[in-house]
Amino acid sequence: MGIAPYIIVSSILFVCGIVVMIARKNIIGILLGIELILNAAALNFVSFTKFSNSNLDGQVFALFIILVAAAEAAVGLAIVIRFFQIRESIHIDSATQLQS
Amino acid sequence: MELGSNYLYSITYYVPECIAIIAMAGILFLEIAYKKDESKRILLKIFTVLGFIFTLAALFCLVDLPTKKIFYNAIVIDRFSTLVKIVAVIATLICYYFGLLSRDIYTYLKSEFGILIMGVLVGTMLLASANNMLTLYLGIEMLSILCYPLAALKRSDEKSAEAGLKYALYGGLSAGVMLFGISFIFGILGTIQFDEIAVRIASLDVTQKMILLPSFLFFFVGLGYKISCVPFHMWAPDVYEGSPIPVTAFFSIVPKIGGMAAIVRVTAIFFTTENLLQYTWVGALSIIAALTMTVGNVSALGQRSVKRMLAYSSIAQIGNILLGALVLETVGYQAIIFYFFGYMVMTLLAFGITAVLSDQYGNDYFDRFNGLVYRNPLMAIALIVTMLSLAGMPPFIGFIAKFNIIAAIIQKGFYVLAVIAVLNSVVSLYYYMRLVRLVVFKMPDSTEKLFNLGIGRQVLFAIMGLLILITGIFWEELYTFAHITNQIKLAH
Repeated sequence: MGIAPYIIVSSILFVCGIVVMIARKNIIGILLGIELILNAAALNFVSFTKFSNSNLDGQVFALFIILVAAAEAAVGLAIVIRFFQIRESIHIDSATQLQS
Repeated sequence: MELGSNYLYSITYYVPECIAIIAMAGILFLEIAYKKDESKRILLKIFTVLGFIFTLAALFCLVDLPTKKIFYNAIVIDRFSTLVKIVAVIATLICYYFGLLSRDIYTYLKSEFGILIMGVLVGTMLLASANNMLTLYLGIEMLSILCYPLAALKRSDEKSAEAGLKYALYGGLSAGVMLFGISFIFGILGTIQFDEIAVRIASLDVTQKMILLPSFLFFFVGLGYKISCVPFHMWAPDVYEGSPIPVTAFFSIVPKIGGMAAIVRVTAIFFTTENLLQYTWVGALSIIAALTMTVGNVSALGQRSVKRMLAYSSIAQIGNILLGALVLETVGYQAIIFYFFGYMVMTLLAFGITAVLSDQYGNDYFDRFNGLVYRNPLMAIALIVTMLSLAGMPPFIGFIAKFNIIAAIIQKGFYVLAVIAVLNSVVSLYYYMRLVRLVVFKMPDSTEKLFNLGIGRQVLFAIMGLLILITGIFWEELYTFAHITNQIKLAH
């Protein structure tokens, strides 16, 4: 089995992430979409390292992605909680205060 | 053994960042352990300011050193990155001072504001000297993740929470897309080091370059989002309007110059040899720069809130700076550094004055500036100077900065872009002068007195106003100081 299936899976993950971010109205859902995109990139890194070159850069990169994704989710969820406490809704359409 | 000594050796070049990180951790510990009452925490403030000053001093020690690659080529310390860092530290220090005085940031959050902006500063420094994809990504994420809570710092305010939310969602998406692009660049070229990427790009054939092209466009999304250039600028006005004013001032300078420095470095290292990739990248950058200037200026025309107007104006200014990255020669980087300095002083002064009026009235609509010259002449004159300078009128620093950039791109033959830049400058004159007209010719709505500025802010506004004038007239010294002695590009 070559590298192609890995690339296909990661591309599907990426497209799913983008679609989720566009289509979902729930903010938690949108944050999940971001996680999907990040994981697609991480999968790409490890599969490229496995198949096409010998150094460990890609795997180190994937570890960092996992770490940063966790930090980003923590901060994102904290802000969502704050938003929920103020607006009592986690629907993205209720974020309408800032429009010109 | 060799590993250990390499790291120890590298750290001697990394002292400014280490000081900033230690200061950040120190504030974090002091914040927990020190007195609960924020107004009594004088020592904490002194500690924060000292952290900034020592970082600045350490950076000045590094200015004249030759280019140095440390941590196994992960970080590069050269004159360009050091000068960018110096501008960033000065901007952060002044924003911290604004933050201490502003009512927009709750009293019990002042020290947290210090922690967060110190963290963003560290991210900017990392981004400015990034020399591989990993450090670039970590720099961008350190910048972004700490910016989200900064935007939402005014906790019980609906707008501020929404600004933080929008920033987090846009930021997460663009970082993800950038990462996906980086993963394909890594897959095709097999390395994340900038130097090796530059070498391997040159040896690719046309088909491989065609595959690499979309990856680089994905890669640009993340950087473009950080500097809020046009297709990715939608978040900027909303986030700027919702955040507290000192945070807005901070956002419009420090993360932007970090991202700009990264774009300049990437362009300088990857795209100096003439090939398909270079044409595409430079073409895309020039279209984006022209669009950024135009959209920023045109959208700024009809705004009601000064903060929002300044947000669009900062988008337009970034378009100007982006032109400098197209030059691909030392003179362009020199012009960019000079522009950074001028942009920092002008933007900080404009936001500082807006912050005073916003504290007084609770909002920052244009009519709050009516007749400012009769109520507080110092602030009014400083505001007029900075507005003229932002519009690019001589003899102020804004004119010299724009002149340098436009002269550099004309040398390279981008005549159309130069014409667009000058026309945009004319458009921008309209909305800057609108504010000046209100300040000078309208009578004040009420006789209500402005509250006392305090000696510190008066001196700061006076110094910054004078700096805009003096560096506008005697600009050679500063311009020579901004000279990048060593090419960013690598000598193979």
